[in-house]
Amino acid sequence: MTFLKQTVALTSAGLRSMSERRGSSFVTLISVTAAVGVLTSLLAIREGASIFNGGNARPDIVDVISRGATSTPQSVITRDTLSVIESAPGVKRSPDGKPYVTATTFVSVDVIKKNGKTGNVYLVGFSPGSALVQSNVKIVEGRQYRQGLHEVTVSEPIRKMYRNMNIGDHLVLLKTEWTIVGVFAGNDSIGDSVLRADADTVMSAFSRTTFQAAQVQLTSPSAFRQFKDALTGNPAIAVEVRTLSQSMKDNFGQLTSLLDFIAYFVGTVMASGAVFGSLNSLYASVDARRREIATLRAIGFSGSPLVISVLIEGMLLSLPGAFLGALITWVLFNGNVVDVAGLIFKLTVTPHLLEISIMWALAIGLIGGSLPALRAARLPVATALRAN
Amino acid sequence: MKYLPLAWAGIWRKRSRAVLLLLQIASAFLLFGLLQGLNSGIKQAIARAHADRLYVGSSVSLGVPIPMGLLPRIRSVPGVKLVSPLIQFPSSYQKPGQGIPLDGVDPDAFFGIFPDYVVPPEQIQALKKDRSGLILGAIPAQRYGLKVGDRLPLQTQQPKSDGTNAWSFNIVGIFDVPSQPNGAGAAIVNYDLLNEARLADRDTTLLFIALADTPAHAPAVAAAIDKTFANSPHETRTQSEGDLIASQIQRIADIDLIVGGIIGAVFFALLLATGALMMQSVRERIPELAVLKTLGFSDGLVMGLILIEAVLFCVFSAGIGLGLASIILPQARAQIGITSMPINVIVNGLIFAVVLAIAGSSVPAWRGLKLQVAEALADR
Repeated sequence: MTFLKQTVALTSAGLRSMSERRGSSFVTLISVTAAVGVLTSLLAIREGASIFNGGNARPDIVDVISRGATSTPQSVITRDTLSVIESAPGVKRSPDGKPYVTATTFVSVDVIKKNGKTGNVYLVGFSPGSALVQSNVKIVEGRQYRQGLHEVTVSEPIRKMYRNMNIGDHLVLLKTEWTIVGVFAGNDSIGDSVLRADADTVMSAFSRTTFQAAQVQLTSPSAFRQFKDALTGNPAIAVEVRTLSQSMKDNFGQLTSLLDFIAYFVGTVMASGAVFGSLNSLYASVDARRREIATLRAIGFSGSPLVISVLIEGMLLSLPGAFLGALITWVLFNGNVVDVAGLIFKLTVTPHLLEISIMWALAIGLIGGSLPALRAARLPVATALRAN
Repeated sequence: MKYLPLAWAGIWRKRSRAVLLLLQIASAFLLFGLLQGLNSGIKQAIARAHADRLYVGSSVSLGVPIPMGLLPRIRSVPGVKLVSPLIQFPSSYQKPGQGIPLDGVDPDAFFGIFPDYVVPPEQIQALKKDRSGLILGAIPAQRYGLKVGDRLPLQTQQPKSDGTNAWSFNIVGIFDVPSQPNGAGAAIVNYDLLNEARLADRDTTLLFIALADTPAHAPAVAAAIDKTFANSPHETRTQSEGDLIASQIQRIADIDLIVGGIIGAVFFALLLATGALMMQSVRERIPELAVLKTLGFSDGLVMGLILIEAVLFCVFSAGIGLGLASIILPQARAQIGITSMPINVIVNGLIFAVVLAIAGSSVPAWRGLKLQVAEALADR
């Protein structure tokens, strides 16, 4: 009980004297805020990009690409291969017998951002089965594209980010005029990063004879083995079969881990800067109270409450920085739509990020407090009392 | 100059505090050095680009194939010296992690357009004669112990029309790119061979690379090429090498903005930290400064001493941070192709350090200037 009382007394004494060290406390606050702000901003990019890591992918959807291809642009699916896929066992069928299979073809398209810079999106052609497989993609404004006509639908973020992407606008690609007829919403594997159109129309406009990939809905997730074996065991075709979540991991995993690395590397360097700042501030705090601490030691306060009180002071000093840093990030960036390497997503400052920033701030305070705390505990009482 | 030792001694008056501030400044400049080094490395690559090399791609986007049929018409555009198609197949040797990108080209034209790819002329002739010949980059050749005369089996990602992905090439030459540390990583093969065997996109190319007769003519030649195909079903967009690199980087992300934001936050925090600590240090030394004045140091000199001390300290700490950055940065050369820290980053960093020191210590220095000896010594 005395231990607790002593700790509380010492901590409150330290905090009360903080106003005398307004300058250095303020500096610590700013360093922690800057470190946490930068870390959370970078993590918000990574958090936004995590919609591509396949965690939320439906387990009954599988991707089929040609063997050897590691990503869709290198893949080739012929019409013959497509009909083998459509008749494979395990494929879900509608009551009238249509297979839940959609073949896709990708065309990279240069577009102009509203700020005048060039950007890049994919025009993706889907064969009619997409209405079955991707039933979660809905038209929220305007109407669906029609087969055989040069019509596309756009996502809301694309409409916001790029010029000439409103309903009724035209997009001229290779002398062909495509009309934007609707806005879609709802996630599939590449979410909002694409323009959607009819596959056959896209293929004839770009003189292609083959698809690039196929997406299949199975009767159930457990049909995967059967479906995969039937396709990979067929000598007439050379394809690879992956669950949607695996395929997303393969396609975008590198990006997520790169973003992670950047965030934590820059965050670590900035945080170590803040640790040194915090150390300085707390050394000053202990130094300024040398006589006071020595007096307390002389009248019987023991060392460990002293250590704890300095550590608590360190953490309390950096905690507001965590909230401030996270708050600034949230105000500036939350919900902003960015595009990284052609992928469009929202920056999201989640409660999880707030947790991370608080952890980091506490760590900064703890490390920053440890050495000054030891100095306070080891203070030779006699010398300190004699000092002016 | 003779006051330097005095200023130096002033810095280390409180050793542990000085070391901590030093580390704080050094870590800020470490970040500055790395981010700016990266940024200016990219800018250097753009500046190094050969202006006479033109990249002719589809007007839709660079990834969209264009027909080989355009080749003769590009070649006949006045001012075009050489034209080669370029198709790229990612491929791997023996196992998936060991990638060797395959570039399918017209050998004569390609090595004419890229004189910085060093390869003996007889090896280029050998590649022309042997359809399944391959000129390997020096980097994979060294890494996998391959030499001229070896057979090289490769797996491509794109399927062949026979349904397999397996290729076999004869290594007829080795090329090196002395001007670019990571330039010699690919393998050069005949366009015709890749084209005939592939399943999709036959008789198209990813882009054409053209060489203009002089760099000065290049913009006019580029415009002339695009004009040739304007209003045709295959409109082109011709970019110079520098434009191409710049637009590809812009596709990845807006790097300038991110780097600027981080550096801004770092320096704002740092400016406050140095300022506050300098102020604290001067406050504690008021009696000492007063003694200096009594000894005959002028007001200006005392102010100067405080400023010199700050500049000396910041430049010293920044130097440590920048030095560390120049050691770390080349480790990332494989990814970004930067061999050494660009000298202008170091110079800018040191200038920044001086500005930081002067901005951070101007208030304390002003106090030093205005210091009244009698008042300052009164406490003693």
